[in-house]
Amino acid sequence: MPQSTLSLSRVQAMFPEPLPRARWEELLFASKAELVGIDGDELQISATPDRLDLLSEGGLGLYLEGITGSRTGLPHIRRATGPGPTIEVAATVHPLRPEIAGVLVHPPKRSGIDEGTLAEAIRFQEVIHASVGRDRRKASLGLYALERIRFPLRYALEPMESVRFTPLDRNRAISASEFFEEHPMATRYGAFGRDGNACLVLRDANDAVASLPPILNGRESGEVRPGDRGLLLESTGTSARAVRESLQLLLLVFAARGWSVAPVRIEPSSATSETETPVFSPRKIELRTSDLLGIAGERIAGPEVRRLARSCRMDVHASAGGWAITAAPWRIDLLGSVDVAEDLVIARGLSTSGTLLPVSSTLGRRRPESVFRRRFSPILLGAGLMSLYTPVVVSDGAVERAERSPDTIRLANPPSQEFAALRSSLAISLLESLRHNVRHSYPQRISETGPVVVRSTKGESGTETRYHIGFALAGEGLGFADAAALIDYLLRTMDVTGVREPAEIPATIPGRAARVRLAGEGIAEVGELHPRVLEAAGIPVPVAWGELDLSALWPLVRRPGTV
Amino acid sequence: MPDPTDEFPAPNTVDLSPLETAVLKVLRSRTGPVAEEEVPRASGLSPEEVRGSLQRLRSKRLAVVEEIHEATLRPTPRGESALSQGLPERRLLDALRSQRAEAEEALPEEERSAAIGNLRRLGYLEPGMPLRLRPDAPPGEGELPQEATLRRIAQGTAAHDVASVRALERRGLVRTDHITRRRWAPSEVGATWPIEEAGERIGPLRGEMLASGAWKTGSFRPYDVRAEVPFVFGARPHPYPSWLEEFEEILIGLGFEQAEGPLVETEFWNADVLFMPQDHPSRSIHDVLHLTGIEGRLPEGPVADRVAAVHEGRPLPGATKPLSLGWTHSYDPRIAARSVLRSQTTAVSGRYLARAPEPPFRMYSIDRNFRFEALDASHHIEFGQCEGVVGQEGISIRHLIGIFQSLAKAIGIGEVRVRPSYFPFTEPSVEGYVKHPRLGWIEVFPGGLFRPEVLRPLGIEVPVAAWGIGVTRLAMVALGCNDIRELFQDDLGRLRDGRV
Repeated sequence: MPQSTLSLSRVQAMFPEPLPRARWEELLFASKAELVGIDGDELQISATPDRLDLLSEGGLGLYLEGITGSRTGLPHIRRATGPGPTIEVAATVHPLRPEIAGVLVHPPKRSGIDEGTLAEAIRFQEVIHASVGRDRRKASLGLYALERIRFPLRYALEPMESVRFTPLDRNRAISASEFFEEHPMATRYGAFGRDGNACLVLRDANDAVASLPPILNGRESGEVRPGDRGLLLESTGTSARAVRESLQLLLLVFAARGWSVAPVRIEPSSATSETETPVFSPRKIELRTSDLLGIAGERIAGPEVRRLARSCRMDVHASAGGWAITAAPWRIDLLGSVDVAEDLVIARGLSTSGTLLPVSSTLGRRRPESVFRRRFSPILLGAGLMSLYTPVVVSDGAVERAERSPDTIRLANPPSQEFAALRSSLAISLLESLRHNVRHSYPQRISETGPVVVRSTKGESGTETRYHIGFALAGEGLGFADAAALIDYLLRTMDVTGVREPAEIPATIPGRAARVRLAGEGIAEVGELHPRVLEAAGIPVPVAWGELDLSALWPLVRRPGTV
Repeated sequence: MPDPTDEFPAPNTVDLSPLETAVLKVLRSRTGPVAEEEVPRASGLSPEEVRGSLQRLRSKRLAVVEEIHEATLRPTPRGESALSQGLPERRLLDALRSQRAEAEEALPEEERSAAIGNLRRLGYLEPGMPLRLRPDAPPGEGELPQEATLRRIAQGTAAHDVASVRALERRGLVRTDHITRRRWAPSEVGATWPIEEAGERIGPLRGEMLASGAWKTGSFRPYDVRAEVPFVFGARPHPYPSWLEEFEEILIGLGFEQAEGPLVETEFWNADVLFMPQDHPSRSIHDVLHLTGIEGRLPEGPVADRVAAVHEGRPLPGATKPLSLGWTHSYDPRIAARSVLRSQTTAVSGRYLARAPEPPFRMYSIDRNFRFEALDASHHIEFGQCEGVVGQEGISIRHLIGIFQSLAKAIGIGEVRVRPSYFPFTEPSVEGYVKHPRLGWIEVFPGGLFRPEVLRPLGIEVPVAAWGIGVTRLAMVALGCNDIRELFQDDLGRLRDGRV
């Protein structure tokens, strides 16, 4: 879950009385946030990915105000009047990063931004980048002091040779080429803001570089300092929705402190984004009574619905078939009626009392094929074979030792050498188990009933999961006949007899391996492992091996009406 | 003679085998202790049979033993060779006397220096080189002192010169053998034990005795039932799948039917059907395992288009309004067709629901899933999940919590508490915790009600409660494992002897 460290005192400041720790834990356990720890003024919080708003001091404070009843209903957002300034967008940005949106925020009573709010905005900005912004690929945010930029701003793709600026963390101006070559932020995010020898630039009317989206602000016009009065919040990205939602979340930091907001015009707008991005418009959602009843499992009376909705910081009005809900713009998790219903059910409290057990007359049972597979377990035990359960994902080394490389499917992103391929035969796993057990006494008789994965055009995935029984008999005097006899025995338990035919099977001694057919279908393989294979695996005794393909056998022995 | 057998069973609790009887008879036929090596000849048994029988008689307190430790000097093979060819100093002395330089030089270096040292000490040689006999060297053909000692040792004659014996030992020409001689005698009890009767008793029962009825005329020799028996082991089921089967039985008893799905899935079934946005972080290569050289394809029929519609926030075919805002991204069927290792058994639920089961329905699937994980005590690339769905009119969050409570009770854990959670495919989403007597509160039951964006494209109109229990974690708790790798245990030592 995403985590953040908040200032405890800034959240506490939103309440008349400080909350004791036990109350914190109780309130947060019932929410989608979780208290990780409190250390001095540091409040460590994690939250589910849909409730990122709880990872800001303002957002957590608004939630707790509502749930404790100290302040309920839709938080008021003061909106400035009059037309907003403009960001001009050049068509050149379109292939690379076409979306941009902005909003102005002003502190109450013409004060300035304090250090705490600035620090909260910067921390929360990084949470948003990592989540909604998909590490800045889909959206990234920038903050600018209105005192140091002059509108209109212009967002364009410019030749790098024409761009020179002082990065936010440096003291001297450098060229864009130098920046992309050496700056660590450019190394990490450069690909999102560069197209060959051109890069994205946001300039103000004085031609000063405000930022190189989505990488870094310029120092002259892109630095925000405590005391600054009025900010531009801006977001660029590849997805209009991510751009808008990232801005809505960041807006929360300021709206929760009573800052006013004003729109920014985008000209000309992109194909998907609006001229005036509705960043601070409340979200209007219809809550269907049927959804609330269905989720809660009982009828909730109208006044209670109103109380719950307000405690979730929503406004609520009755409407046909349900309720018209108005939620804050940063509640980007509210996609539809069921999301609001969930909020109300959580606000009401998830209780383990008054629960119900669904009444129905369904018949519990295993799949017939699964029952069929399980029938062999006692038979294998009765034949003296120790049962194993080993991973389906095996190492490259295991595949090579079993000489099964050609027909094995490999992982494109193996987390380690130990787990790099899918077993296509249980022989791979059995050989590994024998290798792990050379210090134990012989004879060793082991088996596994489990899945293997093979290439196939039958399955939509280009593969097929098949279930096999594999066994290995290791010890002096054990050989082909022992393994073949066991395959014969397993088939006899199904009242069928297979036909053995000579076959070339990987890792076996030529002339001592066979494929077993039933009704013309290959259903089993059996053989003596080659000394070359045993030597490579360090196994000091002969090994006979057999493998029965239950997925092939099942349709041949299935009898209608029985399992 | 000592009788160190107090800790052994009292003799009247055991009986004698025919071999033991024969050996005891020999001991009783002598008036005093008898040397162990004499008993085979006297009894007609092999030395091995005699040795085993004597030890058993001793353990039964019917015989006592006296051990005599002897040290005997013997020539080594080199000593034997020196006896036949002459000691090196003898050969050197003879060579000097006969003025045969080649004989002198023929001595090996290590023998030559010992021989020169000995002859100098005995006053035969002049100081310095070349080697010359002293004019006053002892005359005659008599034996040198070590020569005489070696001969006497070989002959077994006593009264050796101690200095010469030590010198010969240092030179590796003689060695001391330590021998323990055992002399046996019947114990006080053994001297009067009724051996005549014991010899007629039946030992191992044989088929021929049954056939002939011979057992009817004899009596059975009782065995020492406290004696060590051979170490045996048998084939056993593996504990992890056995536990999974027990868990499965609970669900079957609650009316759930089993479903299964392939281990390799397309992203369509693994994520898209579950309303997970195509750029969701948990779909990245850092979470999901992708495959090389495998091409997947979308399912046939309308389901692919219907799923694409809910992702893009479009109305489903025939509807006027979209179910929700969706993800408003452009749905990419190429992503949907990519093959991955299944990362959650919820994919099985998707396939099950796509077959439009008739409500009411209850389904479970307990199976393997795979995620990109670095291996440690609590993380494994492969983990088990128990997926469950219940679909019928009126199913609510209260029912889901009720199911959690009944499952917890069935596995022997009483208290359950729940808190809100988040999964892209359920709304509401909850996390159920159970109170384990040893570990405290542990997260066990993640679940929720499937979103309309999951159900409607699959044609399901009833509400469906769903969960995906981490059975690997439950199994570790139940089986007392501290390391997840123990669940994939293939060590035969532990599997043969571990608790069932």
